[in-house]
Amino acid sequence: MCFLKVTGIGKHFSTTILFKDISFALNSGDVMAITGWNGSGKSTMLRIIAGLVRPSAGQVEMFCDNKPIPKKFRRQYVGMVAPALALYDELTALENMEFFCRVRGIAYDRKSCFNILERVDLVKHAEKICGTFSSGMKQRLKLVQALIHKPPLLLLDEPGCNLDSRGIKSVKNIISDQRTWGITVIASNEKREVDYADSIVNLSN
Amino acid sequence: MHPTKSGRWITQTVSSTYLTEAVAIWFRDLRSEFRTRYAVNSILMFALTTLVTVSFSIGSFRIEESERPFLYAVLLWIILVFSALSGLSRSFVKEQEAGTMDILKLSARPQAVFLGKLLFNLTMLGVLELIIVPAFILLMGYKIKFPGCFVAMMVTGGLGLGAGTTLVAAMIAQANARGALFSALSFPLLLPLIITAIKGSERAAYGISAAGWPEVKIAAAYAVIMITVSLLLFPLIWEE
Repeated sequence: MCFLKVTGIGKHFSTTILFKDISFALNSGDVMAITGWNGSGKSTMLRIIAGLVRPSAGQVEMFCDNKPIPKKFRRQYVGMVAPALALYDELTALENMEFFCRVRGIAYDRKSCFNILERVDLVKHAEKICGTFSSGMKQRLKLVQALIHKPPLLLLDEPGCNLDSRGIKSVKNIISDQRTWGITVIASNEKREVDYADSIVNLSN
Repeated sequence: MHPTKSGRWITQTVSSTYLTEAVAIWFRDLRSEFRTRYAVNSILMFALTTLVTVSFSIGSFRIEESERPFLYAVLLWIILVFSALSGLSRSFVKEQEAGTMDILKLSARPQAVFLGKLLFNLTMLGVLELIIVPAFILLMGYKIKFPGCFVAMMVTGGLGLGAGTTLVAAMIAQANARGALFSALSFPLLLPLIITAIKGSERAAYGISAAGWPEVKIAAAYAVIMITVSLLLFPLIWEE
């Protein structure tokens, strides 16, 4: 079981206050949506939770099996999909997966990777260079990258962005799977994606 | 995935080490470089054009025989250092430009990223030295009386050059005007190494005997200190 506790988080750039005093707590199985106007700080909030950006105030704590996870180890427990997170365009889909397996210390198995790619309808394109992919195909490969180490905390920034109906169905299935054992935080204003969530934090308020 | 029998989540800590992560990053960079040839083209084109210019303008006859070991050592290290500066910043800059920096931050530990990038830059420098140094010796008629000392100077000098440029490349990756900043920051950091390497190469060429090859030891110490300091400082540079 994992537990995410966000206490009094605030972020400002120079004199511009993005958001302040945001608190929430999530347990394994919870799905939460972060909504808000463009520029309200949805993506920044996800980046703070992932440990990519320091908050101006407050703290993010994560516990797994009742043990606190230090910030420097949090990345091992986080899977993230975001428009700003790019994959390696000069590598094939399979080579990207091989890299993320090896760098995360997961035994690379070509057959398993093909199985995962099949789940997101990319198996036909496994050996193609990612630079030639459409934005929807890239988005599906990003989902694979985020799930490859089976993270207890899944952060999805506009997960349905550029996806067709099959891709959107894959996202729904991924969130349903994650609900059975992990935490999901979705940053989006899409009603369809917000509807997956049990709770909502609106940064525009 | 569900917790393992021991109650721990299946995560990287089970089987990943700094070295395996670094090697994964090294191989990925080599694979990318093999396909795009961006850094290697930039480094080798600079090195070859400079070498050809130097060999045509100076050649092996315009300099007094007694002065050749010193001047040739200076010219060789100028070519090596500036060639390295022309391409080695790419290791980090390309991650920033391609938008892959954050995904790398989420996937690997900072020290492993530094080691992976260092291995990549050292590979590039190794290729550069393997091509340029023999070509320089042939074109300039560079006579070296202590080849062992000369090779050791090239290896330790290359290590120091790789370590220094990798650290500076990480520092400038997120800045504007990266090219100018890379050279400006690298120069003072590399100056002690360049002076030492020139002196050591000159000594090897002259055949001046000195117990224990002092310049080689200084360059090796520089590389060890630079790598150690980089491993300590890099997480502060890498994480916002």
